Amino acid sequence: MKTALMWFCLIVISLLSLFPFYIMIVMGTHYSEDLFKGIPILPGSYLGENLKTVLQADFIKVYGNSLIVSVVSVVLATFTSTLIGYAVAKFQFRGRKLLQTFVIITMMVPTQVGLIGYIIEMRHLGVGNTLWPVILVWAAFPFGAFFMIQFMRDSIPNDLLECARIDGCSEPGIFVRIVLPIMKPGLATLATLVFLWSWNNYLLPLVTINKSEWYTLPIFISNLGIVHRTDYAARMTALTMTTIPVLILFILGSKTFMKGLTAGAVKG
Amino acid sequence: MNAERIINTSAASSKRRWGPRMWPYLFALPFVLTYAAFQLYPVLYSFVLSLHDWNGIGDKTYVGFKNYVQLWTNDPLFIKSLWNTLIMMAMFIPVTLILGLTLAYWTFNLTRGKRLFQTINVLPYITTPVAIGFIFSYLFDWQTGIVNLLLTKFEILEEGFYWLQDPWGSRAIIALMVIWRNLGYFMIIFMAGMTVIPQDVYEAAKVDGSTGLHTFRKITMPLLRNIIVFLVVTSVINGLQLFDEPKLLYGGWSGSAQVGGPDNTALTIIWKFVDESFGSNTRFGYASAIAYSLFLLIVLFSILSYRLTAPKEDKR
Repeated sequence: MKTALMWFCLIVISLLSLFPFYIMIVMGTHYSEDLFKGIPILPGSYLGENLKTVLQADFIKVYGNSLIVSVVSVVLATFTSTLIGYAVAKFQFRGRKLLQTFVIITMMVPTQVGLIGYIIEMRHLGVGNTLWPVILVWAAFPFGAFFMIQFMRDSIPNDLLECARIDGCSEPGIFVRIVLPIMKPGLATLATLVFLWSWNNYLLPLVTINKSEWYTLPIFISNLGIVHRTDYAARMTALTMTTIPVLILFILGSKTFMKGLTAGAVKG
Repeated sequence: MNAERIINTSAASSKRRWGPRMWPYLFALPFVLTYAAFQLYPVLYSFVLSLHDWNGIGDKTYVGFKNYVQLWTNDPLFIKSLWNTLIMMAMFIPVTLILGLTLAYWTFNLTRGKRLFQTINVLPYITTPVAIGFIFSYLFDWQTGIVNLLLTKFEILEEGFYWLQDPWGSRAIIALMVIWRNLGYFMIIFMAGMTVIPQDVYEAAKVDGSTGLHTFRKITMPLLRNIIVFLVVTSVINGLQLFDEPKLLYGGWSGSAQVGGPDNTALTIIWKFVDESFGSNTRFGYASAIAYSLFLLIVLFSILSYRLTAPKEDKR
């Protein structure tokens, strides 16, 4: 009886988690005006037309923009985080403690505090209305640095580094040939997280980008179809196309993802 | 000859000593430089701006702390946005914590389907907020939304309820969006905490005759203390920065540029901030003062929530 109740609750909550996705997908297959006639529970037959509407509205270009933003952000964030993580976790030097404290403090400062200053700075640099502001905000990613420090400390044996040094391997050589291969799981975790967060980012592109050629997906979708008629169905199709790849990516790498999401909590 | 050799070896040894010393600084440099350029500088610059009156184009006029005084004493809308944010936090933080813990506890003790339940429930967390906003504003639309259609069909309500235009309805729906999005995340964090608890603690409890709820209250809960502290503090920090959900609930589906929802009951601090700086106004100085006030509130509330939830030994 008790287990039955438990299973019932678990299944209901899981269905509630999935239901909005289902509604989103189904709505994308209907003709927009039909959506208001009743509850669209079964898929309609208007998917092709909706796809056309979405694709005509520069969707491919916007998708490209979002991909560029996320990929470059991932590269930048993992690059700077891994390097500082290596320095703090695996070297003894003056200022090490200070750097570590610095990273922890930076984690506590919310990005929004400097938002206006950041946008003015970007305008002064002449890249105000481009993809750069949305990318550069990831260049120094405090959580990433913290995550890398922890990960390096646990997973790279000091002896290995000493051996390499005695064998005459240069420091960059050690980093590339020994540290990076060991760090592969950590890099994957951090990369997926940064990808996810930059892909979903809404506030920053909302206030920086107002030229449609530089729209990222979240901004594009919230503006889609306002010009001619409010095409809800087409928006839902676009949303489905935005969400599903990330969901698939997540389901494929769910182990890595969950490890990354929980990494900060269990340690700190 | 001899002297040359000495010079050579000393040069080599100093090079060897200098070598390892230089590298950690070099490795740390990219992060420190990019942080200084793209985060620290903007934060400091925003503080300077908050002491000025500036519309972004004309001249800046220095006004001291006037913006702050104005904000805290003479801007009812800001105070209202602060209240709204706190009310919504009070709605979603306890619910997500309790539901998340229950879900995690149940799922953790499953013999099969563990991973499946985990994966399904985390899906909302990784979904773009835009989708969540659209979907919820559709679900709760007063005329065509599924919720109202179902409620009227089963005759719980005579006619559709105006969810999105009701002051408490709007807040409750925003809280619901946050709960829906974060529940899975809370659940996997709790589960990660449970895996760390050694199994023999449970076995010992079993031998001593402790079962079910008693074990959960006396053993699982105290050992999850740190996780709870982490979740409370981070959700207070994130909750104070609530923006995506309310903004997308009202700015998305209807296509309207209505700010703050019905009678500003859904206006959050960040929404007020964005509206003052990049929305209906361009008062950069005043908006920076909002941002800094929010920063102080975040520091204050995170210390407070840490004090309230952290175990007694850690309070010093």
